[in-house]
Amino acid sequence: MKKEMKIDEFCRPGEQLAEIDPAEIIPLPPPYDRIEKAPIRKLAEEQRKRMDASLDGVVAIGLTPPASPEEEKAFIEKFLAGLEKLFSADDNWTFLQPLTHTLEYCVKCQICSDACPTYLASGRQDIYRPTMRPEILRRIIHTYVKKDHLLLRKFQGSDIDLNWQTLARLAELAYRCTLCRRCAQVCLLGCDNALVSREIRKVFSQQMGIAPKELHEKGSVQQLRVGSSTGMTPAALKNIMEFVEEEIEEKTGRKIKIPVDKKGADMLLIHNAGEFMAWPENLEAFAILLDAAGVDWTLSTEIAGYDSVNYGVWYDDIQFARVAIRQSMAAKSLGVRKISLGECGHAHKAGIVVADRVLTGDLNIPRESILPLLEEIVLRGRIKLDPSRNNFPVTLHDPCNMVRLMGIVAPQRRILKQICPQFREMEPHGVENYCCGGGSGFAITQSTNFPDWRSAVSGRMKMKQILTAFEDVPGPEVKKYLCAPCSNCKGQFRDMFEYYGVWEKSGILYGGLVELIVNAMTNLKKPFIQWEWH
Amino acid sequence: MGTLIIVLTYIAYVFIVVVYTVKVLAWLRMPPHIRWDLYPVIHEEHYRYGGSYYEQQEWWKKPRPKNTWRSLLYSLKDNFTMGEYYERNRLYWLFLFPWHIGFIFIITFHILCFFAAVAMYGGLDIGAVSAHLAGRVFYYVLLCTGGIAFIAGTFGSLGMPIIRLADRGLRTYAMPMNFFNYLFFFTVYGSGLLSWLVLDPNLDEYRTYWLGLITLTAPALHTMTLIHIILFDIFLIYLPFTRSTHYITRILAYYFIRWDDEPNLPGSDLERQIAGLLGRKVSWEGNHIPTGKSWAEAATERGFPEGKKEKP
Ligand code: SF4
Ligand code: SF4
Repeated sequence: MKKEMKIDEFCRPGEQLAEIDPAEIIPLPPPYDRIEKAPIRKLAEEQRKRMDASLDGVVAIGLTPPASPEEEKAFIEKFLAGLEKLFSADDNWTFLQPLTHTLEYCVKCQICSDACPTYLASGRQDIYRPTMRPEILRRIIHTYVKKDHLLLRKFQGSDIDLNWQTLARLAELAYRCTLCRRCAQVCLLGCDNALVSREIRKVFSQQMGIAPKELHEKGSVQQLRVGSSTGMTPAALKNIMEFVEEEIEEKTGRKIKIPVDKKGADMLLIHNAGEFMAWPENLEAFAILLDAAGVDWTLSTEIAGYDSVNYGVWYDDIQFARVAIRQSMAAKSLGVRKISLGECGHAHKAGIVVADRVLTGDLNIPRESILPLLEEIVLRGRIKLDPSRNNFPVTLHDPCNMVRLMGIVAPQRRILKQICPQFREMEPHGVENYCCGGGSGFAITQSTNFPDWRSAVSGRMKMKQILTAFEDVPGPEVKKYLCAPCSNCKGQFRDMFEYYGVWEKSGILYGGLVELIVNAMTNLKKPFIQWEWH
Repeated sequence: MGTLIIVLTYIAYVFIVVVYTVKVLAWLRMPPHIRWDLYPVIHEEHYRYGGSYYEQQEWWKKPRPKNTWRSLLYSLKDNFTMGEYYERNRLYWLFLFPWHIGFIFIITFHILCFFAAVAMYGGLDIGAVSAHLAGRVFYYVLLCTGGIAFIAGTFGSLGMPIIRLADRGLRTYAMPMNFFNYLFFFTVYGSGLLSWLVLDPNLDEYRTYWLGLITLTAPALHTMTLIHIILFDIFLIYLPFTRSTHYITRILAYYFIRWDDEPNLPGSDLERQIAGLLGRKVSWEGNHIPTGKSWAEAATERGFPEGKKEKP
């Protein structure tokens, strides 16, 4: 049994608070039960000097220790100034109410801990409890912002001794939560500890300019500058589209012109630009399907108009608003009637739900998910499909943002039940699903040993679920398909499957939903899904 | 002493009502926030599996029926059953449940005593052998609610510190205030239990006390009952300093956060409110933010997010 951690230890300078122990992380079914390597690579001595890893030996941000006591003091003061802004109705009207509620009304009952896949998978490491971040934040607020009397703080257990390392650990810890909000779902008090993770990230970003570079510099900043967080320019997009058209012709014998910047089209479809780079088959499948169904659609080449990601939703309100506005402006300039979001969970939540209270006037263009349209195409027989073409075991991953966070649960299931004879659910599924482990930006975060952590810890529960869903056909000789209608989740599956050697050991291919639909189209000569995609 | 009790009781009730009201109003007065809904949303048609109106094509053209009664019942139910605790930590529930039941029943008991006293003032005889059915019903209902309150509350406040120390997660987050509360609440319920069992098996004294309250005449009570009533009044005054407002705010959080799926439709009041909020100034100091400008300007101003500010 692990050592029990006292909250005060969080502030103790020096030693690392927790270590992922291979003997304690939740076991996976065979052959994944044999742990052949340390789950997480150790940082080199030089890296440890440069970056604080005193939380758990893992680095997502890697803050550099201050050079002098003055620097430390300035750092702390700046953080505290930011913390005050979290409670200002001007600076934080966006989340003031849910944040205040959580901080004031959580009774620390720990029910949420048992719902958290990260905490459970880690072997119940105390630092990963959903309550740890809010507790540290609450103590900082009572001691340094509200400045409660010492006796009251002792009585209420809200006293804390702040130093640079506490904040460095807190910053890292905010990036050990996937924002899957499974914890919030079980809280009877209506508290949301996931939101607290986000709000801590926000103080670091909006006040201190600190965020993982994959989210900020190379993420939202790059998206606003060149058009996409992938770095892909509009000119590069056009080249990729030509490539995609050629690929479609090669695979299907059809010549399809992908509509780009078509003024007055009915629908602007925005994909996660990760698809263009990593999974062009998803774009191809969309183009084939929408063409066959006679949908009037277009892509855009305007800044942010061809990349549905909005990383701000995970760490920064202002960056969020900027991207949401640019995406809407792209649609406005094309004069489309509506925006539809492709297979990307966080883009769904960000673009359809969260942006809802940012976009006003003529920027408030109707936005919807592509899934109901896909459902209509499949279930109403707008194209001819042959389910026997998908006669292999298929299971479905529910992207948290699309399912638990916005209630799109049934359309993808109705499609799969129609076209995949061997479809089976994971347990639990739907709004109670487990996160892929790559939520809230983790799937794109490649810093040092962080990818190991997200495969070994935050994604482990999902890994277990996938293997269990296919437990009747465990070996690699039976090819199986994990349907993940989300680019971000696919990014996580790509890395996690590589980490565990899933293709070699189990023969599981991950991919989107639309690929399965196109694979079942009767008028395609060859199967669309190519198992070599792994 | 009887007069003191009357004054103290009025102060306690006025205090708790005023402070709870202020707290709830402060909660409600916070500005509208960004949508942060979480499914299942219980007023939704497909709440059973957690579906939303986004499952339809062009949802903005479709009706969005809301079953408000269902969501109200759902949110209230957990105030009583604490089902999530029963499912996830049964041992904790075993003590937490009576602790809350004690709380709910003791408040209910006093409210019922008030009505009983009004009825007595109007001439109703309340007792096991009252000539009126209403008098007998009142008697037994009061006996049950009071009895349950004292027994459950005492049991809960004895068990809570034990489970708080025995359960690893609860122990880590325990604070001295928790144990003070358990001890204090134990004296409140325990004194009630004792005076009921030893001195006042029919709970007559509470009716006398409430009759005294509404007629402003000092009641004659046993010392033990007096002690319990004084403790209960202090308990009422103390409650607003604890997290007890959560009985109300948790329901607000369900309605105004977790289940708030109201879309911002063009021309709506919500859209007007948001436009106002976007005009507020930001003072965030990150280099990618134009400090001092409005939200709308910060989100659209040229040169940002990359435009670095000169350090003063
Ligand atoms: S967030 Fe909710 S479930 Fe978690 S400890 Fe707090 S009150 Fe309990
Ligand atoms: S949001 Fe998910 S990962 Fe984060 S604390 Fe809650 S359950 Fe755990």
